[in-house]
Amino acid sequence: MAGAGGGNDIQWCFSQVKGAVDDDVAEADIISTVEFNHSGELLATGDKGGRVVIFQQEQENKTQSHSRGEYNVYSTFQSHEPEFDYLKSLEIEEKINKIRWLPQKNAAQFLLSTNDKTIKLWKISERDKRPEGYNLKEEDGRYRDPTTVTTLRVPVFRPMDLMVEASPRRIFANAHTYHINSISINSDYETYLSADDLRINLWHLEITDRSFNIVDIKPANMEELTEVITAAEFHPNSCSTFVYSSSKGTIRLCDMRASALCDRHSKLFEEPEDPSNRSFFSEIISSISDVKFSHSGRYMMTRDYLSVKIWDLNMENRPVETYQVHEYLRSKLCSLYENDCIFDKFECCWNGSDSIVMTGSYNNFFRMFDRNSKRDITLEASRENNKPRTVLKPRKVCASGKRKKDEISVDSLDFNKKILHTAWHPKENIIAVATTNNLYIFQDKMN
Amino acid sequence: MLGRGLKRKLSDYEESMAGLSSAFDSSRSLPYPLKRQLVLNMCLTKLQTYKMLVEPNLHRSVLIANTVRQIQEEMRQESSQQPVNICPGIAPASHSYTGMESPGIPLQLPSGVEDISPPTCLVPTGDDQPKFPENTGLKLEDDRQDLKGAECVFGSFEISNSTSYLKDLAIDDIFEDIDTSMYDSDFCCPPLMPPRSPSLATEEPLKTFPSCNSSSANNIQICRTDLSELDHIMEILVGS
Repeated sequence: MAGAGGGNDIQWCFSQVKGAVDDDVAEADIISTVEFNHSGELLATGDKGGRVVIFQQEQENKTQSHSRGEYNVYSTFQSHEPEFDYLKSLEIEEKINKIRWLPQKNAAQFLLSTNDKTIKLWKISERDKRPEGYNLKEEDGRYRDPTTVTTLRVPVFRPMDLMVEASPRRIFANAHTYHINSISINSDYETYLSADDLRINLWHLEITDRSFNIVDIKPANMEELTEVITAAEFHPNSCSTFVYSSSKGTIRLCDMRASALCDRHSKLFEEPEDPSNRSFFSEIISSISDVKFSHSGRYMMTRDYLSVKIWDLNMENRPVETYQVHEYLRSKLCSLYENDCIFDKFECCWNGSDSIVMTGSYNNFFRMFDRNSKRDITLEASRENNKPRTVLKPRKVCASGKRKKDEISVDSLDFNKKILHTAWHPKENIIAVATTNNLYIFQDKMN
Repeated sequence: MLGRGLKRKLSDYEESMAGLSSAFDSSRSLPYPLKRQLVLNMCLTKLQTYKMLVEPNLHRSVLIANTVRQIQEEMRQESSQQPVNICPGIAPASHSYTGMESPGIPLQLPSGVEDISPPTCLVPTGDDQPKFPENTGLKLEDDRQDLKGAECVFGSFEISNSTSYLKDLAIDDIFEDIDTSMYDSDFCCPPLMPPRSPSLATEEPLKTFPSCNSSSANNIQICRTDLSELDHIMEILVGS
């Protein structure tokens, strides 16, 4: 990676940062999800206040060949509002848990956004022309007196300032008793799944009044509950295959052709525990917070509290690669349990060619692992590095012993500055990294 | 800060939690049982806090409950390997929960510390007083009560599960005419008294509770008022 030279190393540079500058973070501004669309031209973020902000990449300027287009605000809309469940006296948070884009089929863009209970399909369309020259209406909309009309003309479309409109086209509600943690669009582009703590439902994008339940792990007696679903995703190519991860560190691959209710997995991926690492917190840190298929569909990646694991779908008994994200935290687990940081759900992502994986950490650090060179790098998302085209300096955490210059000791890490959500452009080396309330965009240095 | 951590009374653990957890992390010489007890207390505190929330986080509750169960299982196995510490007359682990009306946790405890028990056994007579060893037996019982309370956290996720507390009553008919509507709620108080058979000498374990201030004080405090009322009911029933 950066620093050591070598032809294939990427040098990451700051590009942009979005969001408020103050240290005082408004709760509603906390970013809760980040997602590029299929072309990478659009970048969507969701926040705790239920809003979705979409950024669009500028068309590349031929004169500015040293950098790719910048991302500017394209559309902002309120996707979800807080609701109140009167039956259970519970408030339903408007926080956007996940956004997933549909592939573009026509001029409009579609995305699914979800909070804890309800999924919505949004259509984002552009309007850059409007009709002018009506016979019976003035330009401001007032009706003309028909007797004053002496000539007739045909209205024509004239350009106007671009207006981007977002409208909810479908609302998929009332299908989840527990909190939705994942949505995933099937490769058939007609169906999608939504997963909560105990169940997974299959929807058709056109049908909102019913869904099929395809996984149900709720025990008859809730007091026997020992495991919950933490994430789920459809296979990128095989429209009958999906996986779901659990709080016990297992991943189950299911085939919808086998039976209507996929309670019996086709494959179970689980790594036996390393007895030398056993602690009281072993189960908690084995809980998988994210699962993502590679673009090729051959591998999947899981994120647990301390590591990222790459699994070959053909091998169930252990991952093919394991990368330690912040192993220095293993000796701090009790403190992290006490302040609840041990429950933080970090996400992970692949680059477009499946050669590098990325995930976040604390102190606004994020990590990248190059699967081919086996090299890794730690970078920081901070406003201090915000000069465009300045290469980011690699960071290092000193686990113990003598701290070298420029290293940070584990005890000085800021555990309130966590990077949970990251996204990688599907084709280019452009990444979006969300700190608590800011979105950073980094690009590789183009020479 | 290691010395302070070791000497601190467990009843003050809330205030010293931060100090204790960093002592846990940094010290290699903290004895294992103490570390284990510390973690257990932290877990129970969290579960207790979650019980008071309108909608506890299911994922976290499950993870913490599993940790509690694992620790308790370990403690049980340790104590069953040292039968001299627990009151004699135990049938080794033969009184599992499955035989009784209780949540289906496959936890097994030495029957000396169970509260649901067959009428024949248990509290020994004579001068062989049960030494409920402060650091295992009683805590086991407290913690098990708390775990039951913890299990009830999951119960609160379902409106229909509000009677889980009542399921624990092994002797329904005795309590038929007692108004139990106050217990009919989504959060459960650990059932300390009612499941006990009235023929048991219940005074003894009861007496040890107030004297034991090294238990998870919070959990006991919350149910102290209920305890005294149930006490009263028991006295009437037993006719003492």
